Amino acid sequence: MSALTMEEVRKVYGSGETAVVALDHATLSVGDDEMVALVGPSGSGKTTLLSIAGGLLSPSEGEVHVGPHEITQYDRRELTRFRREFIGFVFQGANLVPFLTAKENLLVAADLAGRKGRTAERRAESLLEGLGLADRMGNQPGALSGGERQRVAIGRALVNEPELVLFDEPTSALDTKIGEQVMDLIRTEVKGRETAAIVVTHDSRMTHFADRVVEITDGRLKAPGPA
Amino acid sequence: MKTAWKELTRRPGPFITAGGALTLITMLLLLLGGLLDGLYLSATAAIRAQSASAIVFSTDARDDLIRSHIDPATRAQIAAVPGVESTSGFGLTLVGAQVPSVTDPVPVAVFGYEAANAQVPAPLPTGQVYADTSLRAQGVRFGQTLLLGQAKTPVAVKGWVSDTSYLFQGGLWANAGTWQQVLAANRPDQALAPGSFQAILVTPHQGLSPQRVAQQIDAAVLGVNALTKEQAIMALPGVSQQKSTFASIINTTFLVAGLVVALFFALVTLERVGLFGVLKAIGANSRTLAAGLALQALLIATGALALGGVLTVGFSFIVPSTVPLQLLPGRAAVTAVGLVLTALVGSAISFRRIVRIDPASAVGGS
Amino acid sequence: MSLAWTEIKRAKLRFGLLTGAVALLVFLIMFLQTLSETLLKDFIGGLENQSASVLAYSKDARRNLDASVVTPQQVQQVARVPGVGASGPLGEATFTVRSAAGRLESTTFFGYEPGGAGAPTTLSSGRLPQSDGEAVASTTGTAGFAIGDRVSVQPGGYSVTIVGLADNATFNVQPTLFVSYPSFELAARAQNPQAKAVLASAVAVDPAAGVSAQELASEITQQVSGIEALDRATAVSSLPGVSSIQQSFGLILLLAFFVVVLVTGFFFLILTVQKASALTLLRAIGASTAYLLRSLALQVTMVALSGVVIAGALLTVVAATSKNNFPIKADPVLIVEVGVAVLVLAIAASIGALRRIARIDPATATSRGGQGGLV
Repeated sequence: MSALTMEEVRKVYGSGETAVVALDHATLSVGDDEMVALVGPSGSGKTTLLSIAGGLLSPSEGEVHVGPHEITQYDRRELTRFRREFIGFVFQGANLVPFLTAKENLLVAADLAGRKGRTAERRAESLLEGLGLADRMGNQPGALSGGERQRVAIGRALVNEPELVLFDEPTSALDTKIGEQVMDLIRTEVKGRETAAIVVTHDSRMTHFADRVVEITDGRLKAPGPA
Repeated sequence: MKTAWKELTRRPGPFITAGGALTLITMLLLLLGGLLDGLYLSATAAIRAQSASAIVFSTDARDDLIRSHIDPATRAQIAAVPGVESTSGFGLTLVGAQVPSVTDPVPVAVFGYEAANAQVPAPLPTGQVYADTSLRAQGVRFGQTLLLGQAKTPVAVKGWVSDTSYLFQGGLWANAGTWQQVLAANRPDQALAPGSFQAILVTPHQGLSPQRVAQQIDAAVLGVNALTKEQAIMALPGVSQQKSTFASIINTTFLVAGLVVALFFALVTLERVGLFGVLKAIGANSRTLAAGLALQALLIATGALALGGVLTVGFSFIVPSTVPLQLLPGRAAVTAVGLVLTALVGSAISFRRIVRIDPASAVGGS
Repeated sequence: MSLAWTEIKRAKLRFGLLTGAVALLVFLIMFLQTLSETLLKDFIGGLENQSASVLAYSKDARRNLDASVVTPQQVQQVARVPGVGASGPLGEATFTVRSAAGRLESTTFFGYEPGGAGAPTTLSSGRLPQSDGEAVASTTGTAGFAIGDRVSVQPGGYSVTIVGLADNATFNVQPTLFVSYPSFELAARAQNPQAKAVLASAVAVDPAAGVSAQELASEITQQVSGIEALDRATAVSSLPGVSSIQQSFGLILLLAFFVVVLVTGFFFLILTVQKASALTLLRAIGASTAYLLRSLALQVTMVALSGVVIAGALLTVVAATSKNNFPIKADPVLIVEVGVAVLVLAIAASIGALRRIARIDPATATSRGGQGGLV
């Protein structure tokens, strides 16, 4: 089973003369532990695709399956629940809660999915240790470097064992060396857990970490995914 | 929810200012309530103390205790009304008392009464009085002989009673004879014939409502106005006016508190739009976020109540005695509940904004 | 100044809430101020606006006119004190009267010697009583106390006709009638035939030419036993209730002012902090600090002024609907005074915000600001 299947997905904003087609004829499949790089200029629709894949947006047309779930017709509440349990997000600027420690940032995500208590704590701790943050767990984001913050964000995305992890420009705010470390880390974690990942990036230096590269321009995918 | 708590404790800055404003508002509310209660209690003590449930005044007195007078003949008529179990005379005169080792005269209210009531035991022999405990602060001591009025009528303090003053003048409770003596000697312009009283207290038959008895007395006896105890209290000069005026001031203040909380949360929520977007993206629903907000509102309100309460109590110790302040637990409880509710409602103003935050906004950078 | 106005238009809820809070607080302040002044005037007007500049009470009345009784001998003794110009008994009591409108009203009576000390000084229409049975009434808006009306004391039925009206002459928050002393005696006897005597409450005194009221008051106190004399101002401020009203309200007013300052200052500070990146940008593209400061000051002024205007309107509405026997008058002078005070305080409170603006370094415009509260 593939982690993600998008079938002729179309997203239109507005209507009539002022309609904007953000995504058109988007058909994409991502395998269970595949890491796909999504490359395109700004305004190309990669954010829209990521949002639809992650259940943040509903498509105007087409079908979206994540693992065994068909999320095309989910309402807001169902989407929220879905995201909670099956999706991990890593945002462009880490976007951590500034007054919570690294470990607490992970626990917030776990708590939302109903994972509490010592089990959740141990999971968060082991994740952070694996990400090389064993001695930074108790620090608030303000006391962490950019690369460390991004690693905490990755931990947060993984804490609920999602089917699919979505990365939005994970290295754009980092220098090359740290960026490569982060991409390497992403690959290790994704492969090790058999979680699928889509990494949106415009940085061609980073794409070689992925299994394959999909290009998107003006809302259309250039290289359709394997059937 | 835990996140909301952690935010409050780790980044208290903005919350402290809102809390500060609410603390001041709490003090305002408690002081206003305290003034209202103080005025009410001291103005009404004499009547509240009565266990009789109906009081009869002469019509022309317009329910003012001091101006009313009922002679023995009228009293007999009242006693004869069916439904009246018993009657008891009640009189009042205001004089200055000379207290041993105190230079200035102390204003007192001398009550003449015939039967024990909720606050005061049965009358002492002539020449002896019970004194209200508020007079202790004025230098009065057990066993002392006080000289009342210009005529210096002597009475001896032989016991204490509490919560029995009349318009801030501490009460001295004397039997009818002593009271008549004081009145005749010192206020010949207010003198009453022996056997007359200012008001007659009525105890109705078992099971009969005070309202019914009052109506029957009014119907049967000319020239009197019978009131239930509650009505008599409300009829005291200024009481109902004070109540309504203060009530509207207090309600306005609650409204201000609500607006301050609403304003604060509107501001703070705006600052956190990005944070809420991200939390929603990773699966938090609006309800959880709103609950967190409500929790913060609750905590701020509680903190303000605690601090405001402590400050108000401390304040009450340094307030001069001319200010009629009475901090009652009942009023404090009402204020607390009111402030908490107001804070919760105020924070709810921001709920709509929270609901409207789109989780998709978390993606795509700022 | 379109920057200031544009921002307000785009953040209507926030500015609306702030203006609402300020308006209510200012209304509270104005209302309390008005209330305390009205209460005071209603309590003491009658005593403050009568002609005797010295009043002699019985000593054990503790400066409470209601509790004071002076004997005829004491009245004569006071008259004989050197420095006394004119003096006479002053009777004060509350009687129930039936007004010309047919209603029973609790009414304060002042009895004085016509032509002597104790006459009302704020006559607004009609004339002073020249004989027994005539009265000057305080203007209270209570029906049945107009010139020409006949009111009768109950019980007993002794009646007086109103021949004049005086402003600010109420005493003990009741309609007040000034009558001749003999009228006062007749009213008292009619009301309580059982009374053994009618006694004056105080002696109203006018000092002789060249004698100060304070000096005369202390002279009288020393020379006449059982008497405490006070000059009018002291007598008025010593009336029971005056100091407690002043202190109670003073306290609450102070708190209310504090809250206004805190809320306004806090709001503008947070607003400025939130706008930090936008403000820095403006500075970087050439807006001067003075311009930004003026913009903020303008917003503060607009909020404060709107709040004051709304509060003033509210006060006027409340005054118009207030009960007849407890009239609150919306005093424009008070509104302006409170308005100015609030405006000054609001600007002072926003100093924190102003300083923040002044410290902005335009060079930081190129680095990224906070992302809506995230790191």
